[in-house]
Amino acid sequence: MPRDWKISIGFAALLAAATARAQAPVLTHTVSIYEDEKGQPLKAPEGVACGDGERLVVADTGNGRLLRLLYRNGVVSGGTPLVLSQLPYPVRLQLDGQGVLWVLDRKVRRIGRVDASGAFAGYLEVKGVPPESVVPGAFKLDAGGNVYLLDLAGVRALVLDASGAVQRQLDLPKKPAFFTDLAVDPAGTVYAVDASGGAVWSAPKAAKAFTLLAKGLKDNMSFPGSLTVSRGRLYVVDQNGDGVVVLGLDGTYQGRQLGIGWSEGLVYYPGQLCLDEGGSAFLADRYNNRVQIFSMKK
Amino acid sequence: MRSRIAALLVTLLASAMPTAALAQAKFKLKPGAGGQACLECHGAFADQLRKASVHTPVKAKECTGCHNPHASDHKALLGADPSRSCLACHAMVPEGAKSVHQPAAEVRCTGCHDPHASPNKFNLVKPAGELCASCHAKLTQAAAKAGAKHRPVEQGCTTCHDPHASTSAPHVLKKAVPALCVGCHKVDKPVFAKRHFGYDVSKSDCVSCHDPHGSSRRGLLYDKVHSPVAKGMCSQCHQAPGSAAGFQPKQAGVPLCQTCHGPKVAQILSKNRVHAAALAGDACLECHSPHASKVKGLLRAEPARTCGSCHGDTMRRTAAAASKHQPVADGDCTSCHDPHSGDAPLLFAKASVLDTCGGCHDWLKHASHPMGEKVKDPRNRNLRVDCLSCHRGHGTGYKKMLLNATQTEMCTKCHEKYQR
Repeated sequence: MPRDWKISIGFAALLAAATARAQAPVLTHTVSIYEDEKGQPLKAPEGVACGDGERLVVADTGNGRLLRLLYRNGVVSGGTPLVLSQLPYPVRLQLDGQGVLWVLDRKVRRIGRVDASGAFAGYLEVKGVPPESVVPGAFKLDAGGNVYLLDLAGVRALVLDASGAVQRQLDLPKKPAFFTDLAVDPAGTVYAVDASGGAVWSAPKAAKAFTLLAKGLKDNMSFPGSLTVSRGRLYVVDQNGDGVVVLGLDGTYQGRQLGIGWSEGLVYYPGQLCLDEGGSAFLADRYNNRVQIFSMKK
Repeated sequence: MRSRIAALLVTLLASAMPTAALAQAKFKLKPGAGGQACLECHGAFADQLRKASVHTPVKAKECTGCHNPHASDHKALLGADPSRSCLACHAMVPEGAKSVHQPAAEVRCTGCHDPHASPNKFNLVKPAGELCASCHAKLTQAAAKAGAKHRPVEQGCTTCHDPHASTSAPHVLKKAVPALCVGCHKVDKPVFAKRHFGYDVSKSDCVSCHDPHGSSRRGLLYDKVHSPVAKGMCSQCHQAPGSAAGFQPKQAGVPLCQTCHGPKVAQILSKNRVHAAALAGDACLECHSPHASKVKGLLRAEPARTCGSCHGDTMRRTAAAASKHQPVADGDCTSCHDPHSGDAPLLFAKASVLDTCGGCHDWLKHASHPMGEKVKDPRNRNLRVDCLSCHRGHGTGYKKMLLNATQTEMCTKCHEKYQR
């Protein structure tokens, strides 16, 4: 290849990277959720689910309950609490295409389902591996109804169908790596974040193992606790570093947003992040006892 | 292409030539003129030549092997950067070394060796044992005090360790454990099997039970021994000696520990938040040794190192903090946190921040800024004012672990009307 072509391609790649970085969305605070419909304050909320129309559900973890809300045109309404004895300490949530809420409960260490009426619809029963060998640390659902489960005990990602039958097992590297969350993109690529090593691993749909996607991110993310994929980007919530780190799907670092603080727009040990199709970001701002909603402007 | 190959050959030949010979040619010195000429001014240096161990170029009076007699950009008129001077002849760290001694990794050769001469073997700046102790004092002092001593330690550290690097083992060991150990300890002797209760431990990790540097316990066991090990009841956790499964544990993970520590495990699992390390992978064994340890609670390492193996970011941030919380500086994470589980945020051992801090600090009992459940934080209506409203628990870059450089800056975050 002629030398000037190489230079041109290199320059174009640099320009593309710079453009992508420049276009990384900026989280701008719009509104925060502080209490339920009766005015009872949130306490250490760790999870938030969005994306099913206007529905919004908060895992009000410290109060041991779920809050069901609506978010329409920048206004939050509702806030009906839902206390379920089967899910006493909810930490991660996701709504599926049928309006069923999936809940990871840290106390019972199981994933439960809650139907649209608010009734408990049973735990996810993992089939194909000894159930006692599975300790879910995080999960994600894809559009096809498959469940991607981060198994802390087995140090692996399990891909299950909606009935809980294991379809695929992807082992993760063991200590010193420590995985806190996973995510799956529309192409079926699974991503997992190593909080201890500051690294992201990925496994394409047909892959049999994870490979390292991005390492050496410890200077940019202290202890990532939550991972979300949306519109060609990975959003890593830096729990101990109090911020959100944006990466490309190839692992390139695109920026870091938010910072430690108590005022609105700042976060303190943030938990789960949920991004909806309308360009809103919902962040469980755990030790600020609130959920913050941001608009994602480019 | 031919010219490149020729250049490469010249470079290779040049690198193969002794440094002294290169210097001789470079400075066009008369034969034998090198060191002799230097000694005319550096007369006191003649004493060096009478020492027991003299560096080869010095012995050959080839001072220009390392020094430039005219001028240099480096200290002591060295012909090259001090690290490169040594490496020109001594490549002590092989490619792909599994472990490297810190001074060797940093090419701080003169930390251990005198570049001219020394009364000690290998030009060491101190006698070998004393030299190692100058950095590894804690280890050597403990070894000296140990009631049961390991003979190789008395013979010198280099019996087991390579002082520069190891291609095959961690901790710059000459061989990995157990290969290193079985070099002396004959595993096929009946007494060996008897002392290990009939188990074939020839492929086991000897240092999971034994302290290779010495111990106050018989059999060089670490000071803290898991009760079944101390009682010789290995089969409480492992398959019976001679079984087909070898030395495998009867069960994996928490269920095995639960057979004896049931109430403790139940208490841990009853809390809202179980430390992920207690559930992940090897569960209890992520932090604890199942056999013996130097550290209380059978921890695999000192608490700060154990916690830091996952929470390295916190350790690094704290290390960089100008003001540190005393328990953090002492590496005592469990002063505030429950390492297993808890109901409180951040796995605090007590119910709230005020309870946690109040265990040592009694400000609230006499005089303090208003704090507690009735005092709302003006920055966030869902927060109450507590110690962490102004301080960070581990430390900060500012005095008294405050969040801001000045008190004015910090106080006016809430007391906005005083902002200037």
